[in-house]
Amino acid sequence: MARVTRREFMRFSGTVVAGASLATMLDARQAPAQIRGTTLRMLKWSHFVPAYDQWFDKFAQEWGEKNGVRVLVDHIPHLELPARYAAEFAAGAGHDLIYFVGQILTGHYYRNLVDMTDVAGRLAKKYGGWMPSATSAAQVGGTWYGIPDFFIAIPILWRKDLFDQHGLAAPDTWEKFRTAARTLKPTGHPTGIQFSHCNDANHNWRAVLYCFGAREADPSGREVLLDSKETREALRFAKALYEEGMTPEVFSWDDAADNRYLASGVACCIHDAISAYRTTEDTNPEVFRNTFVLPEAAGPGGERRNVGEPNVWAIWKFSKNVAAAKEFVEYVGDHQKEAMTASRGYNLPFLQGQYQKPMPVIGTDPKLHTLQDIGKITSFFGYPGPMSPPAQEVLTSFIIPDMFTRVARGQDIEATVGWGMGEIRRIYAKHQAG
Amino acid sequence: MGEVSAGGKGERPAALAIGVPTARVAPRWWRSIAVRRFVFGYSLLTPAVLYVGLLVGVPFLFSLYLALSDASVGAPVARFVGIDNLLAAVESSTFRVALRNSLVFTLGAGIAKSILGTTLAFLLMQRFRGRKVVRALLVMPFTIPIAVSALGWKWMLDSQFSVINWALGRLHLIGAYGTDGWPVWLGQPALALASVMFVNVWRSFPFGAIVLMAGLTSVPPEVIDAAKVDGANFLQRLRQVIVPMIAPILLVGGLFDTVFTLSDISIVYLLTNGGPNGATEILPTLAYRVGIQAGALGRGAAISLFLFPLLLPAMVLLLRNLRRREW
Amino acid sequence: MPRSARRRAVRKHVLIYAGLAPFLVLAVFPILWMAITAIKQEADLYRMDVVPFWFNLPPTLKNFALLFWRTSYADWIVNTMSVSFWVSVITILTAVPAGYALARLKLPGAENLGIGIFMTYLVPPIILFLPLARVVSELGLQDSWWSLVVVYPTFTIPFCTWLLMGFFKTVPFEIEEAAQVDGCGQLGALLRVVLPVSWPGLVTAVIFSFTLSMQDFLYSLAFISVSDQKPVPLGVATELIRGDVYFWGSLMAGALLVGVPVAIVYNLFLDKFISGITGAAIK
Repeated sequence: MARVTRREFMRFSGTVVAGASLATMLDARQAPAQIRGTTLRMLKWSHFVPAYDQWFDKFAQEWGEKNGVRVLVDHIPHLELPARYAAEFAAGAGHDLIYFVGQILTGHYYRNLVDMTDVAGRLAKKYGGWMPSATSAAQVGGTWYGIPDFFIAIPILWRKDLFDQHGLAAPDTWEKFRTAARTLKPTGHPTGIQFSHCNDANHNWRAVLYCFGAREADPSGREVLLDSKETREALRFAKALYEEGMTPEVFSWDDAADNRYLASGVACCIHDAISAYRTTEDTNPEVFRNTFVLPEAAGPGGERRNVGEPNVWAIWKFSKNVAAAKEFVEYVGDHQKEAMTASRGYNLPFLQGQYQKPMPVIGTDPKLHTLQDIGKITSFFGYPGPMSPPAQEVLTSFIIPDMFTRVARGQDIEATVGWGMGEIRRIYAKHQAG
Repeated sequence: MGEVSAGGKGERPAALAIGVPTARVAPRWWRSIAVRRFVFGYSLLTPAVLYVGLLVGVPFLFSLYLALSDASVGAPVARFVGIDNLLAAVESSTFRVALRNSLVFTLGAGIAKSILGTTLAFLLMQRFRGRKVVRALLVMPFTIPIAVSALGWKWMLDSQFSVINWALGRLHLIGAYGTDGWPVWLGQPALALASVMFVNVWRSFPFGAIVLMAGLTSVPPEVIDAAKVDGANFLQRLRQVIVPMIAPILLVGGLFDTVFTLSDISIVYLLTNGGPNGATEILPTLAYRVGIQAGALGRGAAISLFLFPLLLPAMVLLLRNLRRREW
Repeated sequence: MPRSARRRAVRKHVLIYAGLAPFLVLAVFPILWMAITAIKQEADLYRMDVVPFWFNLPPTLKNFALLFWRTSYADWIVNTMSVSFWVSVITILTAVPAGYALARLKLPGAENLGIGIFMTYLVPPIILFLPLARVVSELGLQDSWWSLVVVYPTFTIPFCTWLLMGFFKTVPFEIEEAAQVDGCGQLGALLRVVLPVSWPGLVTAVIFSFTLSMQDFLYSLAFISVSDQKPVPLGVATELIRGDVYFWGSLMAGALLVGVPVAIVYNLFLDKFISGITGAAIK
């Protein structure tokens, strides 16, 4: 009953998605008979595109009906997932199928997660292999303890009308981004990137770092590489970008604030997931018409690195229904196209074969079609190292946003790098001692 | 302790004195009044002690163990590392800032709450028209779940749509949106800390007022009348009669609120999540982030228990002193 | 004479109202704002060019309708009230005897026990919820609101025990002794004499148990993920924020619908025990 009302709620809160036709999908594997009559409980987050959750819950119910499995889906806000998982793990009971988003806890829990190498292998075979950058979210020591579901790209959203009025070029480099912000701020249209403790701040400033050529850790993930000339340049750039092109609001922002900034018509450009594009579409059609999307801006060396937010399935070892959970995860992998449609182009697949053009939604929207290639420049926190527990703790502790905040507020760059490196090295040392 | 048991022993001979002459059989020790009182007393205490002991005491030992180990969320059975976690915490400037903020937050908000709560309690004890409505309105901040009222504050303190800024702007007390004169409540370090403290004060001062009013009601009017007859003025009566009598209730309320404020994460977590640059980071939010969200349970437990060695003796002394007082 | 009395009364009222005014603004303004938000249309919230305290689009009950028809809000209310009720019952049944024993019966070792009970506050909930998750699960209460009935007394019992100790101490020993002489046992004296005299304390204890039960977020988050078992704070904060979409109107409506009635009920209690004392204490 509760779930029915929630589905109704979804219907209310998002636009209704036309069900993508099942016929276009690849034939799903026939599920084994032993899962009939069982129950599968799963925990997911509340997706940023509410229509997606509505679609997903229905999708899961339909899979359940087809396979005789009672499916129960619970959603909680993504930031609260780690607390719930800690409680489930302590209790040794809870959901059969769980989901990591943003906070990738595979490295912490892998001893208590089911080996899913078989599912990963089958999906890889069907869809042209996994994106190399994806594996560390789900693998530990070469074993798959989770299955990557999708990632969220964080591109540049810019107001073409404002840029055109002042003869500004599209912000395909960070230098042009800065010039535009400097030019447009006096006209009442600054830019804004969070200098605060929120997810977007973590992703946005990492993108700037990586575009400027800085590296967070070496590929093994053991050595921290942030103490570099490139890091300092990125910090210097951010300070200038703040002073010339932003207002102090950015120090208080949460993940939703830049969406509102764009949707209210104030921002000239932002660096955010396309949920901001969708919010604007739903609330301010005039601004939406003039909002364009670029995958990423290039740094001074011409490098473009987008920092994605990974989403990963996992199964507890104490799960009461491992078989059904595995079946379901594979079924989801088979239906990524529908998921892309339902999420209005927000979800991007980890399987390389699923990047065949035209991709659903983003392949048909002329403003979004460049996002079809964003997978090639996508990396994740810790880059080029893995999403390991120390990298995760650096992310969760907001050390990198704090470094940018310090410099933007006028602190010395050397002192800031010294502080940040001290905090980060201490975290890595703690994990390596264990 | 010593005095109490001395008192207990002191009564036993009296009980025997009554028991011996009347009893033909040997005196039954369990029938003595002192023993009966002990049995009665301890059985009254048992439910509370068991409840709290089992559900908090035992888990507490577990948290102590965590704080001294390198446990993580996925591997609670871990190596003993002694005070390494504490040392790691102290070395980190993030932690030191959080410690300072916690103390500023708790002390500052505590002082504000006691002043506001006391003033309010005395005002509300008066008889005046409309006091029922006024009282109902004034307890509301305390009855609305903090998880939601904090969100309401987040919206009221929004950098763009703040209704407070709108009102101040109309009164020409602040500059226009987009200029330096427009306060960004949760974005400027000092303002951000003041804002989260303000929300804590807003939510809790009615609590202080209720505790105080409840305490005042327990002062027998005769006592005050007697003081009046003796010619004591209001302030004298307050200092010499009322405050000593309600001291236990005040102290318990104050301690409770202090400890609750020290361990509450919801306001900071919802309003700023410790930002910008740690300006509003407090020990519980840092511990939650390190221990639960980043999964380093051992270090999280150490951070959250950091003040324990300081608070424990302070509270024992205060409570012991409180219980000893006789009137 | 009547005129000067009247003038004094007026002056007193003016003083009291003047003293209360800042408190009222402080306490009521945010709540008024929440109430306005609860009946505003979404589009009306994002406009700073017009007076935010009034309705630039017609007021709406849509936000309330959403609560009741599109979420499990009715269940959440029932759950919250049930949890708070049972927590209050457990708290009173354990804290009253404990507070009495600690305040009145000079028991060896009792002092340390009492201090030990209070010390449990020093154990931070952010760590405590993990072992408690185990307890809840062993009792088979995971994802049920009964789990909160088990857990919340861990923070209501210590406070209420000490609060009641304070009240019991103010009861003159003579009253109790007289009752015992009249043939009541110790238990009888407690029930028939001490409790009735200490009822402001009991009411305060119930009020706090009830409210504290409505203030938790972390425990309910950790133990309950099923929609129809959630208490109001958890349900509202987890289901009316969807990604970066805040359903402000419904959030505020959901908070006020539990907060306001509880405030009114409290006030009735408060009124009783405050009118019970004479103004003599303060005048």
